[in-house]
Amino acid sequence: MSTLAPLVLPPKPRGRWKPWLGLAIVLLITAVTLSPQWGIAFSFDAIARNWQNGADKVLALLQPDWTFFPRTIPPLVETLQMAVIATFVGAVVSLPLSLWAARLTNPNRYTRGALKTLLNAVRSIPDLLYASVLVAMVGVGALPGIIALVLFNVGIIVKMVSESIEVNDAGPLEAGRAAGGTQLQINRAIALTDAWPAFVNQTLYVLELNVRASTVLGLVGAGGLGLLIDAVRTFYRYDQLSLIILEILVVVVVIDAVSAAIRRRLV
Amino acid sequence: MTDLHDSAAAGVHTSAAAPWSIRMRDVSVRYPNGVVALKGVSLDIEAGEMVSVVGLSGSGKSSLIRTINGLVPISSGTLEVGGRHLETARGRELRQLRGEIGMIFQGFNLARRASVLNNVLVGRLAHTPTWRTLLGLYRAGDVRIAYEALNSVGILAKAYDRASTLSGGQQQRVAIARALAQQPKLVLADEPVASLDPPTAHGVMRDLRRINQELGITVLTNLHLLDLARTYGTRLIGLRAGEVVYDGPAATASDAVFETIYGRSIQHEDVLG
Ligand SMILES: Nc1ncnc2c1ncn2[C@@H]1O[C@H](COP(=O)(O)OP(=O)(O)O)[C@@H](O)[C@H]1O
Ligand SMILES: [Mg+2]
Repeated sequence: MSTLAPLVLPPKPRGRWKPWLGLAIVLLITAVTLSPQWGIAFSFDAIARNWQNGADKVLALLQPDWTFFPRTIPPLVETLQMAVIATFVGAVVSLPLSLWAARLTNPNRYTRGALKTLLNAVRSIPDLLYASVLVAMVGVGALPGIIALVLFNVGIIVKMVSESIEVNDAGPLEAGRAAGGTQLQINRAIALTDAWPAFVNQTLYVLELNVRASTVLGLVGAGGLGLLIDAVRTFYRYDQLSLIILEILVVVVVIDAVSAAIRRRLV
Repeated sequence: MTDLHDSAAAGVHTSAAAPWSIRMRDVSVRYPNGVVALKGVSLDIEAGEMVSVVGLSGSGKSSLIRTINGLVPISSGTLEVGGRHLETARGRELRQLRGEIGMIFQGFNLARRASVLNNVLVGRLAHTPTWRTLLGLYRAGDVRIAYEALNSVGILAKAYDRASTLSGGQQQRVAIARALAQQPKLVLADEPVASLDPPTAHGVMRDLRRINQELGITVLTNLHLLDLARTYGTRLIGLRAGEVVYDGPAATASDAVFETIYGRSIQHEDVLG
């Protein structure tokens, strides 16, 4: 160290959150939520008062009614069909929209912004709400369920895949531009191959979500196992309900294994 | 390291189209953030020349090369490439111009998950209707051109491998094949060997020289190593702070010349060896 010239520091980047600030905000929100004045109303007494009631139900749930099995098959199959069809349609619609929603693959900020706004709106509405409105529009059955799931899927896949495209390397796309390709050609020939793993992963993930979601959609009349769940629940048949839950569990596990196999082949 | 396999390389260019010249008049480039990367650059590069552009990092080499295919818009001045005005070209016209200009990047810029062949076929985009690209239906003739380009850089055997599985030197050869598949009138290379080890770097530089000598294509290469610039270029252009400070023959450019370009004495990082 010979001379100690005063250091001229560059201006610090602004607009970035400090880690401790983020932590403080999370703690603050948690405190407010739990506080008696402003927070959500809940108490532990309710659990203590109703424990007997709850214990009976748990006992019933632990004894599935196996004779109920044949009656669950058609709605289970319908649920699976809804999930698979909705995943397929959702994926096909989402692939071009994902490229449209990412800056790297759609430099036009106006069309991109319009699509993103639309998708935010689509995503902000819960699938159950879509289903109940659609049941009113097109009637009880699998169709409103499928449409609700497709909207739900497009919202998720496009968001996740377009965000993964944004962090991909821009270099290969630039090479396509330098070779005289149109944006559409570049997206198809170059961006798509890089986006493919994210797309396959998200699609397989929504397939799993759809199996679970489609069981719930039946509660509002949108077909599948949900209709049956609604029926047995109304008659307090927790033994039958537990069989249905077991079946859903098995299906989810099987789908998980199948997606792992598909992922290995496609990615 | 294999060099260009002469006959195959010639086969890529049976069209034997005339190479392009470059005329820059008073070209300035100012980026949106206010940085002026080129200040009134005027250059005449004749068809078939092999030019090295040297300068320190930040001197404007990339900006210069990227204005020549319109990746960076020029703020003032005029730029003719192959007799066509690039500064006013838009849309389809600009894409067609770019289609005639091959570009090679420091980072190779390959689609990593795509096959080597599909990467080379990117060089045919400007000659392929969009619907064909969307359906992945390349013309047989274009696929043939891609195979020949790969053969000419000696990596035809890797055609079906994923680009990311190749070594750096092989990836840069794929990128050269992609440029060759364009059947270019002009090749621009932006620090093509800066990410490669010395023997591989010489191999890639020899490929570029043979593209120039055997196919007659005009080649403009950015380099920051003075021995590479001397060995492989016939003409040397020195850039400093966005201005041309030297323009003359490469082989005889003395260390003093490089010291003027760099504005400092020569150090051992300035040569590859
Ligand atoms: N896209 C860009 N936006 C703003 N400034 C840039 C951009 N690209 C380069 N520059 C600036 O322009 C100057 C010249 O850069 P460049 O042409 O990349 O030089 P070189 O290739 O010789 O290193 C540098 O000051 C650099 O920071
Ligand atoms: Mg550079």
